Amino acid sequence: MTRVRVTAPRSAARPAVESREAAEESAVGQVFVRSLIRSQLRLALVVAGGFLLVLGAFPLLAAIPGLAESRIAGIPLDWLLLGTGIYPVTGISAWLYIRSAARNEARYRDLAEDR
Amino acid sequence: MPVNPAVGIAAFAAVSVATAVIGFYGLRISRTTGDFYVASRTVPPWWNASAIGGEYLSAASFLGVAGLILLSGTDALWFPVGYTAGYLMLLLFVAAPLRRSGAYTIPDFTESRLDSRAARRVTSLAVVIVGWLYIVPQLHGAALTIRTTTGLPSWVGSTAVVVVVCLTVVAGGMRSITFVQAFQYWLKLTALAVPLVFIVLVLAENNSPAVAAASANPTGLAPAGPYQNISLLVALLFGTLGLPHVLVRFYTNPDGQSARRTTLIVLGLLSVFYLFPTAYGLAGRMFAPGLAQAGQADALVLLLPGRLIGGPGGELLSALVVAGAFAAFLSTTSGLVVSLAGVISQDVLGGSVRGFRLAALISAAVPLGLAFMTDSLALAGSVGLVFAFTASTICPVLLLGIWWRGLTDAGAIAGMVTGGLLCGGAMVAGTALGAGTPVWLAQPAAWTVPAAFAVMVLASRATKSRVPRTTTRVMTRLHTPERPLATGIDVTRR
Repeated sequence: MTRVRVTAPRSAARPAVESREAAEESAVGQVFVRSLIRSQLRLALVVAGGFLLVLGAFPLLAAIPGLAESRIAGIPLDWLLLGTGIYPVTGISAWLYIRSAARNEARYRDLAEDR
Repeated sequence: MPVNPAVGIAAFAAVSVATAVIGFYGLRISRTTGDFYVASRTVPPWWNASAIGGEYLSAASFLGVAGLILLSGTDALWFPVGYTAGYLMLLLFVAAPLRRSGAYTIPDFTESRLDSRAARRVTSLAVVIVGWLYIVPQLHGAALTIRTTTGLPSWVGSTAVVVVVCLTVVAGGMRSITFVQAFQYWLKLTALAVPLVFIVLVLAENNSPAVAAASANPTGLAPAGPYQNISLLVALLFGTLGLPHVLVRFYTNPDGQSARRTTLIVLGLLSVFYLFPTAYGLAGRMFAPGLAQAGQADALVLLLPGRLIGGPGGELLSALVVAGAFAAFLSTTSGLVVSLAGVISQDVLGGSVRGFRLAALISAAVPLGLAFMTDSLALAGSVGLVFAFTASTICPVLLLGIWWRGLTDAGAIAGMVTGGLLCGGAMVAGTALGAGTPVWLAQPAAWTVPAAFAVMVLASRATKSRVPRTTTRVMTRLHTPERPLATGIDVTRR
């Protein structure tokens, strides 16, 4: 058994990529890259913050008087709320994020290719 | 008390054989070193998402969550929520950039980002510690399952899991692992869902009255305060994105955007899965609170079908649950062993296929020894501590490495060491103090995670001259979208 180096498969498009990277490292290219990174970070922080706010609201909702005594199909409502309610919020946050992140990238690609 | 011993043994044998068959089938298409590590990044999103779910849902999720809900009611609902929401954080901050980094492991990432062998070694050490600590509760879960369902001694369970995992990993590597894990997600889901349906039908048909109210506390243990819940959430939200076996899976996506889509599918799969342990916990609280007093909370999922249904039907359903439990131990353990073996073989043994196999044996044997020496705590609780450790060590270096140009190797090392020592110290102190541990030591994430971040930032600021010259190039690659033809470029200089 010979020792082998672990690297990813080389792509046929490598020279094109190198020239593209050179362009991205130029001063103008870096302006676009930095603004892409900033907008992606802002997006991630906004989605995370919004999600945490909703998450924090759940225990308050569950503490509404009488909720623990009400039932649907024998399941107390506070259990239903805390045990199932947060998952849709997670999914929706993720879906919104993916759409906006892809849009940020499309905008970057347009700018970078127009030059 | 035990179910029929033959049932437990048959279920374990069936899962092991299925795992081995899929593993060996995968062997035939796994040829190169690249295949061994990450399946050459050609796994379709649904397979990949199922595999991520299969690998992630461990003993803590399958047995521990229901057990903890039985013990502490709605407070314990934060566990499944945190385990799922951790994936949201992973999606927001890590998934696409990490995939675009082109590195195969977390230490590869730190080395290429910080241009530093020393930072790589410290990361490797953290990864190995996290992996070992995480395997131990899986083996405790296996020991508990074998003890409860067959009456055999505990060590049989943990040893059997380690042997099966070593055989599959050594034989097939990551390619077969992907198929095995995907299969095991669906097995775990079925194993919880089918018995639950029957339990609900039987309860409804007999019109059985609940033994206790859902809000009744079966043990008289003090409920968790806000500090514990918040600290737990910090650990779970930030711990998930540093778990080595979770991260390595993202390299199997062809590009950054598909890494994001895979994560979205994973979130859906996890959300569906966690409804079931929650339902078992609730059913246990209402119909079998005696298990909590008997100290068998972690075995709730295993015992409930037999208790509430009984007869041959109950035995069959118990067999299904036991099979699902073993799928959980096997999948998480093998995922961890693969990622640990990847790190150990590259850093210590030179990166060959033979080195990978040897490293896999080492990665599985050490936690087996640790499992023999320690006692099982509540499964979900001990896994929660591993998340706290990950959140205090690997998480800061990933987040700052991806989003902050100012990170230096010295800062990264200082932060990881600080977080590791504080959180590790709290874990050791908590073990030594036992039941009398103050809450801030029992749930350390709320202060160890900010401390690790703070030290990492301050130490990086103090060593500004060490910001690597490659930063601009690496940051560009992490965040810019791939072009259609330009996938799979390596950033690691070897």
